[in-house]
Amino acid sequence: MVATAATASLFPISSSQPDSAKNSGKHGGSFGNVDPRGLKSKSRSSNGLQVKTNAQAPAKVNGTRIGVMDGLKTDDNVTSGAPRTFINQLPDWSMLLAAITTIFLAAEKQWMMLDWKTKRPDMLADLDPFGFGRIVEDGFVFRQNFSIRSYEIGADRTASVETLMNHLQETALNHVKNAGLLGDGFGSTPEMSKRNLFWVVTKMQVLVDRYPTWGDVVQVDTWVAASGKNSMRRDWLVRDCKTGEILTRASSNWVMMNKVTRRLSKIPDEVRTEIEQYFVDTPPVIDDDSIKLPKLDEHTADHVRNGLTPKWSDLDVNQHVNNVKYVGWILESAPQRVVENYELASITLEYRRECMKDSVLQSLTSLLGGDATVATGVIDCQHLLRLEGGGGEIVKGRTKWRPKYANRFKNINHFPTESG
Amino acid sequence: MLSRGLPTATAAAYNDVTTTCTVPNSRSVDISSRRRSNGFACKSLYRKCAPVMAVKTDERVGVDGTLADRLRMGSLTEDGLSYKERFIIRCYEVGINKTATVETIANLLQEVGGNHAQSVGFSTDGFATTTTMRKLHLIWVTSRMHIEIYRYPAWSDVVEIETWCQGEGRIGTRRDWIIKDHSNGEVIGRATSKWVMMNSDTRRLQKVNDDIRDEYLIYCPKALRLAFPEENNNSLKKIAKLEDPAEYSTLGLVPRRADLDMNRHVNNVTYIGWVLESIPQEVIDTHELQTITLDYRRECQHDDVVDSLTSSESSLLKGTNGCAYSKPDGENLSQFLHLLRSSGDGLELNRGRTEWRKKPAKK
Repeated sequence: MVATAATASLFPISSSQPDSAKNSGKHGGSFGNVDPRGLKSKSRSSNGLQVKTNAQAPAKVNGTRIGVMDGLKTDDNVTSGAPRTFINQLPDWSMLLAAITTIFLAAEKQWMMLDWKTKRPDMLADLDPFGFGRIVEDGFVFRQNFSIRSYEIGADRTASVETLMNHLQETALNHVKNAGLLGDGFGSTPEMSKRNLFWVVTKMQVLVDRYPTWGDVVQVDTWVAASGKNSMRRDWLVRDCKTGEILTRASSNWVMMNKVTRRLSKIPDEVRTEIEQYFVDTPPVIDDDSIKLPKLDEHTADHVRNGLTPKWSDLDVNQHVNNVKYVGWILESAPQRVVENYELASITLEYRRECMKDSVLQSLTSLLGGDATVATGVIDCQHLLRLEGGGGEIVKGRTKWRPKYANRFKNINHFPTESG
Repeated sequence: MLSRGLPTATAAAYNDVTTTCTVPNSRSVDISSRRRSNGFACKSLYRKCAPVMAVKTDERVGVDGTLADRLRMGSLTEDGLSYKERFIIRCYEVGINKTATVETIANLLQEVGGNHAQSVGFSTDGFATTTTMRKLHLIWVTSRMHIEIYRYPAWSDVVEIETWCQGEGRIGTRRDWIIKDHSNGEVIGRATSKWVMMNSDTRRLQKVNDDIRDEYLIYCPKALRLAFPEENNNSLKKIAKLEDPAEYSTLGLVPRRADLDMNRHVNNVTYIGWVLESIPQEVIDTHELQTITLDYRRECQHDDVVDSLTSSESSLLKGTNGCAYSKPDGENLSQFLHLLRSSGDGLELNRGRTEWRKKPAKK
């Protein structure tokens, strides 16, 4: 009951009262038929009803004290049928005030990159106070909430892409742990550990629609699916807890490697039995981006950054450089003016080789379409991270950037239009 | 005419109208481009209150404190003089020892300090400035940081950190922390830091004047409360300057983009990472950091290149038998002296001291 109520509050409820609780249960959840892209557009369009729906949602919870905010209790009085209250008798000028407020709020939002965090219902806090996460959708999806901490914010006051990817990594691990499949170390199920196998990521794609800011709470859903015969896909969907708006989509591809021989391996039957039950049959959240890119080296690169070395804090428990750190290095060679004026809209990474503490790396970036594109619109870059001295390729990447304030202008159209 | 569909919208609007009418200046507090101030200004705008309740801008401890608390799993303690918050350790905050890194701990200390300042109504750009300070373009900067960790938390552990601050005479302020394991209340770490005031334009230090002191002292315990109450504790020790040649060094460290704050200065926690870079592998493999003390002398800019120097204290003491890894009194702590300096001009950025204990045996 509580879980349903929570779901009700997490997704914008566009239908009216009685069945909204039921609907949202399906709406958020029938995993098999969800089309993440469809879901995305739904969220966008229902932004327009935000103010109303948030006010209504707690009323659905029939007044049980699930940490509903004080202000919303007022709404409870209003909607749960006290017909002749003070508020109902307000004269029409209140609608004018509502309109004025709406306009003011719109302006405010543009100025301050408003993020609605104060309207977030507290149900999350009570269900999952520390963000341990839990399995949802009949056991197929793992969901965890993250509060964006101050040190995860980049120079432009939004969470960095590394923070987002760290969250993805955390939910992946917690999913495996929750499913009882955490073998020794962080990368293997028990059957895999027995055979000296571990998962290795080969490809990662992240698409960011909007970056969260400090204090935001994001909800990360993750699930796994089969990908060809011998690899596994793990997808993520990151939503803003309050509004249900999709912030980020990500998809990754994994293969199995033998620890000892360092060779790729087929998925053994015992392991398949362990993991297959968790596979979800949905299309990937992101279309595979596999465009052939020209060769990138010091001569063709626009920007090169040398001498990148892993610090102790970059290493994971196996003393390998943590996957997410590569993103930071790749971005090290992105030109300053791109980093200052644009935000990363998407990043695609192909992992080639692992790197250890004593590696010295070189980061190369090339602007596809040349420097001219920096002046307008979307920027497309190609990246390479490799060992210095023309050594092995560690990661190949592709990034797309959009102007930093693009999102603000997009949101004007989706602002609450209800003025009565 | 109000139809049934309207009441909620109206109520919501009414709430917002009330707040906007009575909180006209809230935005001006944080409109400047300060990190993390957005939430604060927005909060006062969307104050959730019954329609007829007036909202007072400056009394933030009451209504605002509660909201911030809920959002952040942290809250002011009952007497309002300290702040507690719980954090879960995430997998990517765990290092090679499968336990949280000291940088993670330092980040959490910084986070909870910022949240404390925010919950009592100071803007937070990492520097928790009061209203008067902002008017005078003053910011707090760290002059010393001392962290002791007795047991490192592991992935998924929940730690509870309590923090408070107190004035330190005319010169500055002190912020202390106590870190506990939330599951059993055991104290797993303590920390203290000294802060001084600096003019953000001229970058010169300034004495704390009475107005400013009064502004923040109301939130500090009146009675002296120290995270390190014991006499002659390590947090008070003077740190000597490490002279060339150092026993170990790592040269050419460069700030990464992620190390810079909004003003393109290197963030405090990055220095900890740099100090540790020149610790030799043998120590990292067999020991864990128990204590770190850092004196911040000069700030590092985004285009600086830094050298990290380390020498074991016993090798520096004349007259000992030069055994690098054990203290004469058998405590089995390894102690090191550190220096971070600018590669180009050799100017000192930080000096530090660390103590390492042998890693606990694997169970």
